[in-house]
Amino acid sequence: MTAPRASVARPSVDTHCPYCALQCAMTLTGTEAAGMGAAGTDAAGTDAAARPGVTVAGRAFPTNRGGLCKKGWTAAELLVSPERILTPMLRQPDGSFEPASWDEALDLVAARLADTRAQHGADSVGVFGGGGLTNEKAYQLGKFTRVALGSSRIDYNGRFCMSSAAAAGNRAFGLDRGLPFPVEDLDSADTILILGSNVAQTMPPFIGHLEGARRAGGLIVVDPRRSATARLTEDGGGLHVQPTPGSDLVLLLGLTHIVIAEGLIDTDYLARRTTGFEALRRSVSRWWPERVQQLTGVPVPQLRGLARRLSAGTGTYILTGRGVEQHVDGTDTATAAINLSLVLGLVGTRRSGYGTLTGQGNGQGGREHGQKCDQLPGYRKITDPAARAHVAGVWGVSPESLPGAGVPAIELLDSLGAPGGIRCLLVHGSNVVVSAPDSNRVRAGLEALDFLVVCDFFFSETARFADVVLPVTQWAEEEGTMTSLEGRVIRRRTAIGAPDGVRSELWIFQELARRLDSAGTFSADPAEVFDELCRASAGGLADYSGLSYGLLDTGEAAYWPYPAGSAGTPRLFLDGFAHANGRARIVAVQARVTDAPAQRDGTVTLITGRLLEHYQSGAQTRRVPELQQAQPQARLQVHPATAARLGLVDGGEVEVGNAQGVVSCVAEVTGGIRPDTVFLPFHFPGAQRANLLTLGVTDPVSGMPEFKRTTVRVRALTRTPGADLADAVSARSTRTDAHA
Amino acid sequence: MPESIVAVPGAGTIGAVPAAAAPTRIVLVGYGPVGARLVEELLPVVRAGLATLTVVGAEAADAYNRVLIADYAVGRSDRGALDLTDTDAARAAGVDIRTGEIVTRINRVRRTVTLGDGTHLGYDRIVLATGARANVPTLDGVTRVRRSLMCPPSDAASLDTADAPLPRGVTALRDLDDAETVLATVRSGGRIVVLGAGVLGMEFALAAAQAGSDVCVVYHADIPLNRNLDRGGGTVLARSARRAGVTMVSHARAESILFTADTDGHDRFDALICADGKQIPGDLLVLSCGIGARTELAGLAGLSVSTGILVDESLRSWTDPAIFAIGDCAHVAPRPAPGASQAAPAGGPTGLIGPGWRQADWLAARFTAEIEHDARPADALTVAPVAPAPVAAAPVPAAPVDFGPALAAHTHGVVMLKAEGIDVVAAGDTSADPWDLDPAHPDDGHGAAEPVRGRDCAGAPVPAPPRLGVSQWADPEHGRYVKMVTRGGILTGFICVGMPRTGAELTLLFERGSELPADRSLLLRYDGPDVDPAGGGDAFAPDATVCWCNGVTVGAITASAEAGNTDVACIGSATRAGTGCGGCRGRIGEVLERFALTNSTEILG
Repeated sequence: MTAPRASVARPSVDTHCPYCALQCAMTLTGTEAAGMGAAGTDAAGTDAAARPGVTVAGRAFPTNRGGLCKKGWTAAELLVSPERILTPMLRQPDGSFEPASWDEALDLVAARLADTRAQHGADSVGVFGGGGLTNEKAYQLGKFTRVALGSSRIDYNGRFCMSSAAAAGNRAFGLDRGLPFPVEDLDSADTILILGSNVAQTMPPFIGHLEGARRAGGLIVVDPRRSATARLTEDGGGLHVQPTPGSDLVLLLGLTHIVIAEGLIDTDYLARRTTGFEALRRSVSRWWPERVQQLTGVPVPQLRGLARRLSAGTGTYILTGRGVEQHVDGTDTATAAINLSLVLGLVGTRRSGYGTLTGQGNGQGGREHGQKCDQLPGYRKITDPAARAHVAGVWGVSPESLPGAGVPAIELLDSLGAPGGIRCLLVHGSNVVVSAPDSNRVRAGLEALDFLVVCDFFFSETARFADVVLPVTQWAEEEGTMTSLEGRVIRRRTAIGAPDGVRSELWIFQELARRLDSAGTFSADPAEVFDELCRASAGGLADYSGLSYGLLDTGEAAYWPYPAGSAGTPRLFLDGFAHANGRARIVAVQARVTDAPAQRDGTVTLITGRLLEHYQSGAQTRRVPELQQAQPQARLQVHPATAARLGLVDGGEVEVGNAQGVVSCVAEVTGGIRPDTVFLPFHFPGAQRANLLTLGVTDPVSGMPEFKRTTVRVRALTRTPGADLADAVSARSTRTDAHA
Repeated sequence: MPESIVAVPGAGTIGAVPAAAAPTRIVLVGYGPVGARLVEELLPVVRAGLATLTVVGAEAADAYNRVLIADYAVGRSDRGALDLTDTDAARAAGVDIRTGEIVTRINRVRRTVTLGDGTHLGYDRIVLATGARANVPTLDGVTRVRRSLMCPPSDAASLDTADAPLPRGVTALRDLDDAETVLATVRSGGRIVVLGAGVLGMEFALAAAQAGSDVCVVYHADIPLNRNLDRGGGTVLARSARRAGVTMVSHARAESILFTADTDGHDRFDALICADGKQIPGDLLVLSCGIGARTELAGLAGLSVSTGILVDESLRSWTDPAIFAIGDCAHVAPRPAPGASQAAPAGGPTGLIGPGWRQADWLAARFTAEIEHDARPADALTVAPVAPAPVAAAPVPAAPVDFGPALAAHTHGVVMLKAEGIDVVAAGDTSADPWDLDPAHPDDGHGAAEPVRGRDCAGAPVPAPPRLGVSQWADPEHGRYVKMVTRGGILTGFICVGMPRTGAELTLLFERGSELPADRSLLLRYDGPDVDPAGGGDAFAPDATVCWCNGVTVGAITASAEAGNTDVACIGSATRAGTGCGGCRGRIGEVLERFALTNSTEILG
């Protein structure tokens, strides 16, 4: 059996960036023999630098308008990276990895999967997917798990990303599409409220769409950090609101209180288009502005001004990001943002709206077609008998043969190697050792497995724990579709042939399914898989049934739902919401007031996030020399006052610790952060892993872990002599004792 | 001792019959915001059939948000904005809510309460959330209310006024009826005299002035909010209030009321007369002279009462373990050890809603844990009472069952004035001045070592209390005043007037017990034009970022220009600056212009 091969490098191909959900359009042009100059020899003995590569150019498209960020410009370097894995690798008894043939590797994997299932039941095999996989791979991964493995145990890293906003959107609107409107709609807004998203660094070309609001002085950014995005509010661009971490829900309830108390609500809209306002009205009575100030640190005049601005705008958008969603109350926080949008009458109108900014490249499509533990393609519920019957029909299996709902990511990871838990795990498009919370626990779980298979381009931190590593194609080497942050389905196209020895995951699923004597068919042809996905999604919330590669290749702006016979849905909810009665549900939520720890002796609140130069776990971007040189290591952002108190110097070594673990990194002293808060990017491996510190506690509705409010203690490893003023004199003895 | 009073105090099983079948009967007296919160939190156990809950509330209306009453009284909020809870949902869950009704008597022996209509209800636990009433000062013309322990009021209407209603044109501002009275005067454009310059009085006066009323605040002290502010803060507030249109009359001891005859012959308020003869005329006198806990019911039942109903740290009456108190009527203080002297306990009700809600949440969680625990048959066996104990005895040590964390002690509340445009927030002890000598550190400013204050009986050194620090900023001309009091660097009290962001940050620091930055002036800068210490730098400094999308600095652009890339497009090709969102192309142009200018100057020079 040979892999389907892309023919030869074509001269010029239109595709999209491999990284974030903005999916900037780019054109790739083949080059004879690219290379980074640093010629390496890969495992297969090929000279990496001798392989042909591609050059990247920005392409006009409504989202990025021809622009790219540093990550996009340098994306092609990974195609020819000397670190690429170019053949299956098997762990040896001594812990080293040796190359193997595909047949050898796949036979081993299939045998172990079958054995584990026979001995411990189907649910002892787990699958962990990723929000960067194409729609086709995500769909096929879900199908493979349910049909070929018969396991319910599948979930993915989108649980750490979009799950809270998705749960809130489904609850309120009956449907979850990150932006229920095209990105360009933002251009004409005069007021945009961004909560917990640093778009200027995470998807830089997006900020072009904030220009109109900036010109109108109406860009409002809520972030404990004076992030690059917050800086866009300078010079009359708008307002930066800097609450203490974890107080976003209270802030939103307080804004809703003001909007209602000051009569700024859209009464007619509420009456016609929503249910549940009365309960909301009563529930926010307790969040009057002064109380909200007390808990958030946001002064009352700012709260009132903000509420009034939101209601005064002629085009007002409220956008949320991971900053407010990655909390144990993330679903309720997103719900509160939606409720605020609803009382203002923004959602489902042409000039205003609510949206959540999807993070990963296919974070949208990846959450629609069956990677989620409780989901079947088309955003269907796996517990719904009608959904099971429909999908089983498409798959050619009986509905009874499909497993029920599995468990969300953290629960799945917690069960690794545990009695009755997962014994054998397949990981696709994810680097959980770096990206999942409570990293030490994840690592222990991986070590406790009987068998771990990782599909990746590189020896990621997770792949190092694998028994088998299978090298897979990169974005420019494959066909597929992605669904961007605005719910638009776009084409990924092959610009260059994959190296010998590298295979598509679709092919791997096909081969494994065959070896496992699986029911159903598993095509390795992306177009065929997409057609099947479209049929499986027909009638679901995320209905793709009117789509095909042929249609997408015409350049049609295809927004889902796109049922057969329709022209798609650029703007959702204009005529009604997706609940049976056509109305949005206002779900009254409450904030639990918890005591924040005293900020003494180095105790501060840690928030985590991203840098411009890196993407997610950094498995890719840390291998791009230009990006890695710009941000070679984790730097802990700390306020000068806090730094002075703790004797930290800019660039000095620092230790951040709590009961979960300890991170060693260097300090970046900056006024752009609250004195009670420190920031650590989560892209880095080893002792710099931010997720060594985060807790595995999760949102009860969405399963989202708490990433943005972790209590830590910070300690200088490089001390400055006489760093502090009088206060420290008394404090120092206690500090020394505590760390002795 | 009759069988019926034999109960098991402590151990979390009050009144629980070992056969766990019967639901726990809870009676809540009072349906204000704190009572309503307790009801909401207890709904799960009521729905589960593990408890019955009867609520007796004196006001006819469902619970409403009293904190917003001043807003309502000036017409700034409508009645709907005060709604706080879904009483219908509570009723649907099985809660028996009786509004417009009062409890006249608690019979602790029979474990019943008597209602105003004469009915009796049995209970296993009572929660008193009777709240507080407005104090009525001694004024010639206003009849003193005489409250008799022996003869309690029997109907809700006379719960607070007894047989001496306030004269026409005189009102407190505590409940909806009061607010209606005030609102009528605000709407008719009448002149309002506020007696008392506490938080509520000032909030109302400022709100009324903003609503267009002619308002005068009369107070005895030299400054408003004299219990919360020092002279500096109070003076700045008084000035700001005057600027907002409120007439402030300080040092005024109100003595009597002058009446005028209404058309129907009844007396109506005409003017307030002060001890120095000053006459302050108005159409309405609003009494804002503090509040007092409603403790008569508890007192009548023989419960210990100080400034409120005395309860221990688990909100349980000092006297009867089946009775609890929360909110404005509760005085939380540690129960004295048996035989200890009976000095009046420190503290008292805070009058703030936040602590009351915390108490309601905590008590409901504790009740729920205990009731659910008792409902589990297996556990019920393990904690079966060993020996009955008399009701009033000291509690037996808690059973080794974890019912959750203890209620966090609430020390000082943060007081914040709700007034638009005037920001006042204060908390803790702010009596110290910057130049006060710290008695624990008489040689302040010299020895760096912590002084030792003698030795304890074991000969170990006793450290002196942490060093006192006071920082102050006064700018009366611009209505700004800040005082920060620290002990060992930790914020223990502050006053902040006219600096909203600073006040908000100080509040967070105070509530958490956090250290202040050694440079205290950092906190003042939050409200300054240079609020962003990281920004405001030289936008053309070499390390200033120009293109965020591609992380390109001024230095990189200049270097590229030196290499011959002198227009924006060339810079884009060479450095990728401006090739992301494109928003920085203007700035790239500016950098290039400056570069060209510098270059030509250098050449010319």
